[in-house]
Amino acid sequence: MVSNPTIRLQAVTSEDINSMRQQYPRAFAKTMPERVGIYCAWALFVGIIIWLHIHFDLTPLRLVQPDPRAGALISHFFDWSKFAEWDHTAILSSMLETVAMALLGTTLATLVAVPLAFITARNVMPVFLVRFAGKRLFDVARGVDQVIWALIFISAVGLGPMAGILAIFVSDTGTLAKLFSEALENAERQPIEGVQSTGAGPLLVQRWGMLPQVLPVLISQALYFFESNTRSAAILGLVGAGGIGFELISRWNVLRYDEVAYIVVLIIVTVSIIDYVSKFVRYQFIGGPNG
Amino acid sequence: MLILDDVIRKFSPDVSIGTVSLEVPSGQMVGVIGRSGAGKSTLLRMINRMVDPTSGRILFEGKDVTGLKGADLRAWRRRCAMIFQQFNLIDRLDVITNVLTGRLNEVSLGRAIFKAFSPPERALAIRALDRLGMTKAALQKADTLSGGQQQRVAIARALMQEPEIILADEPIASLDPHNAKVVMDALRQINRQDGITVFCNLHTLATAKNYCDRIVGMAKGKVVFDGRPDELSDVMVHRIYGPEGLETNHPFGPDSVPVPQKTVHPATV
Repeated sequence: MVSNPTIRLQAVTSEDINSMRQQYPRAFAKTMPERVGIYCAWALFVGIIIWLHIHFDLTPLRLVQPDPRAGALISHFFDWSKFAEWDHTAILSSMLETVAMALLGTTLATLVAVPLAFITARNVMPVFLVRFAGKRLFDVARGVDQVIWALIFISAVGLGPMAGILAIFVSDTGTLAKLFSEALENAERQPIEGVQSTGAGPLLVQRWGMLPQVLPVLISQALYFFESNTRSAAILGLVGAGGIGFELISRWNVLRYDEVAYIVVLIIVTVSIIDYVSKFVRYQFIGGPNG
Repeated sequence: MLILDDVIRKFSPDVSIGTVSLEVPSGQMVGVIGRSGAGKSTLLRMINRMVDPTSGRILFEGKDVTGLKGADLRAWRRRCAMIFQQFNLIDRLDVITNVLTGRLNEVSLGRAIFKAFSPPERALAIRALDRLGMTKAALQKADTLSGGQQQRVAIARALMQEPEIILADEPIASLDPHNAKVVMDALRQINRQDGITVFCNLHTLATAKNYCDRIVGMAKGKVVFDGRPDELSDVMVHRIYGPEGLETNHPFGPDSVPVPQKTVHPATV
């Protein structure tokens, strides 16, 4: 009976607890140094966050009492009485250009990122130097923001969508390659061994043991980047790298807030449509919610 | 007493389970056997309502559990613990935390979210692990354990629920013969000593015969046999497993391990 006690919470006595606490102290609580360490780390973190609030004067009061101009701006945003007079051709064609830039940039980035991801994944490429060089290359592509890349490419190829596409391509190749390579490293070893054991060569082992495992992640991420790039292509336009951003900033500068609001709404609608189409494409490749 | 009263589960017009009617007295060890796809898992999952029956009633101690919702349903699930083929532990968490999740229905929300289990609960978790011979692994991550060890941790988690029924869905199908025996011995010991009803899906006949008071044979969603292990004739086995039925008692199958002969218990305890 002692070796096989019934598992009832009510049957646990304080003597039981004391003897078990002595035998297995760490099952009851962390050790003192561990606890002190954890509390100190949290106190430091919370302290920094509070101090930053004070430093930036980030108080709820400032949100409760906004600048009176904000109200006027908001009402101006939604006065669409001059809708018929807006330059719809320019706005819509810029919007399409934005989508086209995102599509082209993301597609090129994906095509380049996939092979790069394979040669930088620990479980695919055994040579450390190759992985290291590849990963640092991604860091550079990623570490420099898309807008900075856009500025660099504008000085190289001039104003317009070409610079924007190149900016998307370079920065997203870095990010996607990193994400893909992590997906590869998280893949299961067993299917790879399974294919290896059939006598397939290294390329085919990756093709049939690895790729089917990571394809859903790859497709989801590439589609998300397409959507995300449609949004950021609007920013690229602000610096002159083509797309809807140019239309947006030029209207903002001449106080045409109604048209600015319209463009923002248009971007939201476009992104929603892309999201819907992406879902459909994803289901085609990797099956719907029911497999 | 657990009663299944004309229970049916329809998946599509031509795929369905039932009609199943069973009466299981408390403290019985029931083995459900049958081929893959015979409806064993669905039957088990309907009992703890992971799958809802399309029609029919499930009663426990005279109370209808078929229509339970919300907190009542969760309280019912606490009373009929589940053991899974793939153990279904939280791999990244340590063993003791996995075992403590067996108390989630009982402890207050605040304590449960912040893992603030009380000393008696922690002591009980160690006691449950001790019963399965797993205390040494209490602070290890669950995925560092072998399959047999993980299943024992899963049983400890089930015990933490202080269940009245244990529903085991193919508990040994992923284990080697030695671990299969350890796990089945543990289930039987819990059944005998604590009087917990054990409702166990098993792939193979010999395991069911060795361990269970009662065998329910299913084929194509229907119960085709219900009786004591010694009543199970070869003809019946054919009906349950099909023409190749007896070959599942392969001499090298998981059931080839000699099991200590259990004392004969009547079908009703």
